[in-house]
This record gives sequence, structure tokens and C-alpha cells, in this order.
Amino acid sequence: MARSSRLTAYLALWGLLLVSVVAAVVFGPADIAPLDAWTAIFHHLGLVAENPLPLMRDSIIWDLRLPRVLSALGMGAALALAGTVMQVMTRNPLADPYLLGLSSGAALGAVLFLLAGAALLMPIGAFLGSLGALALALSVAHLLGGATPSRAILAGICIAALASAATSLLIFWSATGGSYREILSWLMGSLGGAGWADTGMVALGLLLCAPVILASGRGLDAFAFGDDAAASLGIDIVRLRWTLLAATALLTGVMVAIGGAIGFVGLVVPHAVRLVVGSRHRLLLPMSMLVGAIFMLWTDTAARTLFDPRELPVGIVTALIGAPAFLLILLRYRRIT
Amino acid sequence: MHPAALAAVAVAALLPLPALAQTAYPLTIDNCGVSITIPAAPQRVVTIKSTATEMLLSLGLGDRIVGVGFQDGPLPDTLAAAGANLAVLADRMPAQEVVLGVEPDFIYGGWESNFSGDGVGERPSLARLGVASYVAPAACRSVVPPRLNFEAVFDEIAELGTIFDAALAAAALIDSQRADLAALVPDTRGLTAVWYSSGTRAPYVGAGTNVPAMIMDALGLDNAFGDVEDGWISASWEAVVDANPDVLVLVDSTWNSAAQKQKLLAENPITSKLDAVVNQRYLIIPFPASEAGVRNVPATIDLARQLQALSFPAP
Repeated sequence: MARSSRLTAYLALWGLLLVSVVAAVVFGPADIAPLDAWTAIFHHLGLVAENPLPLMRDSIIWDLRLPRVLSALGMGAALALAGTVMQVMTRNPLADPYLLGLSSGAALGAVLFLLAGAALLMPIGAFLGSLGALALALSVAHLLGGATPSRAILAGICIAALASAATSLLIFWSATGGSYREILSWLMGSLGGAGWADTGMVALGLLLCAPVILASGRGLDAFAFGDDAAASLGIDIVRLRWTLLAATALLTGVMVAIGGAIGFVGLVVPHAVRLVVGSRHRLLLPMSMLVGAIFMLWTDTAARTLFDPRELPVGIVTALIGAPAFLLILLRYRRIT
Repeated sequence: MHPAALAAVAVAALLPLPALAQTAYPLTIDNCGVSITIPAAPQRVVTIKSTATEMLLSLGLGDRIVGVGFQDGPLPDTLAAAGANLAVLADRMPAQEVVLGVEPDFIYGGWESNFSGDGVGERPSLARLGVASYVAPAACRSVVPPRLNFEAVFDEIAELGTIFDAALAAAALIDSQRADLAALVPDTRGLTAVWYSSGTRAPYVGAGTNVPAMIMDALGLDNAFGDVEDGWISASWEAVVDANPDVLVLVDSTWNSAAQKQKLLAENPITSKLDAVVNQRYLIIPFPASEAGVRNVPATIDLARQLQALSFPAP
């Protein structure tokens, strides 16, 4: 991609992101005038003296919609970034952020906490579960003789299956009445009820992990050609792999803790962006983040408004859109290769 | 014939007393899209879910119950003695084999989904074994019932009275509940309400067609989700905050108690601003009473008492 068209693409995506945020905040079950909504937000930011909204409506905008919109943005960016990294590191086009048992581990942790009566601490359980699963998967891979991509994937599948079985057993054994629905909605992935604390967590995860990954663009390019090629370019592949894996796992763990295992974003977005901008990671990584953020924002907006006053788990929407999109991408690939 | 006797016969013929008649077996009834035939009054009954157990205990049929499964909570005080010695087949859903092991001739399920392969068994296969299956009509999904009202609840009581040849007990129960209901004075303060059943990230709330709507209507409360054609829905917190109801009805269940709900509502920065939360205006109903059955009327009376005790600033 030429430098000028690259700049245009960035500007276009940032513009679209901004417009999306402005528009998404206006949509919701409560009928609030767009101008009032944004005036209230500017009031909170200290830019406008008067808040046009009464307490409760102000709370809808400031405590519900805005943090949710921002969480969705961060979540989409993080999942797309993690997916891109996993795909190149495992050289597996089917890789997604949850490949190494992360989502199953998170689900187990979350369900354990939920059934122990600590529904509010579910994110912590999910985070611990995802890191536990990852540590287990990597130890198993290590036992098999070193954490190469294929061993890591196999170990991940094994741990994921084990964690899923344990989750199902727990649900079957002890879930009653309403807790079924709660677990199910979480397993499908949902940003329902996301508040500022969630936004903060998402932002923190991104701030900690994204710079590390974004700075490794050149290394990832080398990875795409295989370990030997990377090594011959003078890259410390073992160190790079562990760094990237740790950053991706931490990032995914935080995201799963906040929104459950939201599928397809981390799988489809990297492929779609790669089709357009090619596979140079210095471009692919930030572009994927932008596209992921916009995609997630709109799917989540659909999830919370389409069936007003009902709320749909966003994982259903991302899968409904993501699966056909993935098919289209595969068809495009077939034409290219 | 003596004139007096003749008059008595004439009066008897005119009185609408078919419900009090003895049941003629075999009895065939249409239940949730399935036609079931009952050859004689059931003697060995398995009840699934609290509503089914409580219904039979209330009709004095506890001695027919050979096993219960999937009970949602403790029995109310009024039925505790009658149900003290029930055989519990499983705390959760009993498996088909466990249920068939007690050789029931009638299985009474509080939910239609109780009758499935991984539950007590499919209805047709139970029928082939000579086991009649009965789904609480308000919980039917195959044939969506009309909006629930107390008459429909009484109809279920009467239908079980017929099935078990206990029409007298059923009529007495219906009469007493109908009298209680008639004595109920609906609230006239024009209050709005949200029925919060469960859920944390997305609240599961009472909508327009089932027990929540029926009870809130009887209480004189305006149900914020009453327009939605469903029993309960997963709503968004935004819709709840937007409604900002005067009172919240909290369902108290073993897996999500009213106390947990109050804690969540008070700690969540958004819901903590709701008028009902700020002023602690909660009505609490036990979970088993929040599904169609014999506890609906007593629960409504109890909720009315709770509602009366709440004070509101003059508008």
C-alpha cells in the first residue's frame, strides 16, 4: 500500500470510528435527544456548564451507554489484535484469541465464582481461569518437548476440552433456575451491564499489552515465513514468541473476563483486513484494531437496541454476521491463491 | 313421587354443579397440545418442580405422591406438615430411570421442558408405558396459552380436582382463594413497578403474559414491561432505569436471593439512583410463588400487605 493511500485509509477509519461513537451513544431503549445526550457528556467532561438531562437520564447516557460504547471499542480492538497475533504465531488461519484454552478456562473460572454466589466477582474468576488454562496448556506443550506452534495448539485443545467438560459438569450439577440463563448469556459473550469499571479494565489491558504487540510488527513479519527464516534475520524467536504469547494471553484474559467469549471478531477481522492491506504487520495490526473496534461497536449497538427492551448477548450477533463474513473471505482467498 | 322430593330433583337439575360430580373414568383431556387419557384416579404420582407438589398437597393428595424432583425451595408453612415425608427423587432433575423406578402412573411437571429425553422422558414414550404426563397449563410452550389470569389458575386447580376425583377439595380451595382475591383492594396510588426475577448483567424481568403481569395487575401496579408479549424477558438495565419504577418486586430464590438483589441494586452505580432503590421500596415474593399455582393468591395478598406498608411522598 502506498504511503498516501495508507494515510487516507487511517484517516477514513478514524473518521468512521468517531462517527460511529457519536451515533452509537444516541441509540438505546430510552428516548433521549442526540443533542441532549452529547451535551450531557460534554458537561461531564467539564466543557459545558449546564447539563440538560435530569439525574436518571443523565445516568443512562453517562453510566450506561458511554462506558458500554467505549468498552465495545476497546474489546473489538483487543480481540482483533490478539487474533492477528495468534494467526501469525501459530501460522494457522483458523486461530483466534481463544485458541490456547483461554475462553474455556475463563468460563470455568467464571462459572465457579457464579455458583459460589459471587456473581459480581465473575470477571476475576474468568481472568484467573484464562491464565490458569494458558499456563497449563504451555506446560503441557513444554512437556511434549517445547512450545512450538503445533504443540501449543494441541495442548490448548486438550486443556480447552477438559475445562469445557468441567464447566458443563458444574452447570449440570448445581445450576438452578435463573443461574442457567446467567451462565448461558455469559458463555455466549455479552457486554450487558458494562460500566466504567469495565471500561477501565479494557483500557488498562490495551495500554499494557497493545504497545508490546504493536512494536513487534517486524518480528511478526519474519514469523510468517517460519522460525528458521526469522532466526536468520537475527530475531530472538524464543524470546519474541514468549513475549507476544504473554501479552496476547493477558489481553485476551482481560477481555474474556469483561465480556465472556465473544466469538468471530478475533477470527474474521484479521482476515478481512489482511485481504485489503496485505500481511505487513506494521500496517495490519493497527488497521485490525480500528476495524475490530468499529465492528464490535456496531454489533453491540445492535445487540442492545434491535429487540428493545430486550437485550441480546452480543456473541450471537457477532457470530450471525461473522460466520457468513468468514465464508465470503474464504471465497475471496480461493480466488487469490 | 313426593312433591318435595320432586322439587329437590328439579333444583338439583338446575344447579350448576358439574364440577362437584364424581369423575367418570377413563378421562381424556387436552393438555399442552397432547391428548392424555387417564384410566382411573392416579395413585402413584411424581411431581416435578414446587408448583406441582404444592398443588397436590393443597388438594390433600399428598398420599398419592411417590416422589418429587427439582423442587425450587422449601414448602410454605401451610403445607410443610403435609409434605414433611415426601420422597425426594433428586434435588435437581431426576433421570428418567429414577422416575420410572418408583412406577408412577402420573407425572405432573411444572415446566414443559421437564418432559424431555434428559429429563423425566418424552411424553409419547411415557404414554406408551402407561404413564400419564401433565404439564402445568400456564407453563405450556407448544401451545402458547392466552395471557394468564387468576381464572386460568383456578382452572388448573379444578382440572386437577377432576383428574384425581377430588372435585370437592378443588372447589373449596378455589372458593377460598377467590374470596381472598375479592377482598383484595388494589393500590390506587398509580404506582409503576418492575418485576426483577434474576440476572445481574441483564436483568430478567416480568413481562406481559404470565404470573408477574397477573399479580402486578391485581395489586394495582403498572408493569413497566407489561406491553411485551412474553412471560419474562431479558431486559436491558437501560430500559429499567428509563422506566424508573416506583417499586421493585424482587423474586427471592435459593440461587439469587432478594438480599443479593438488593445488594447488587445498591452497589451498581446506575441502579443505585433508581427511586425504588434510594427509598428501599421493595416487594419480596418467594420464587415458587412466582410461577402459576396455588401460591399465587396468598403471595398476592402478602405483596399487597407489603405494598400498603410502603409510604410515598405526596405527589
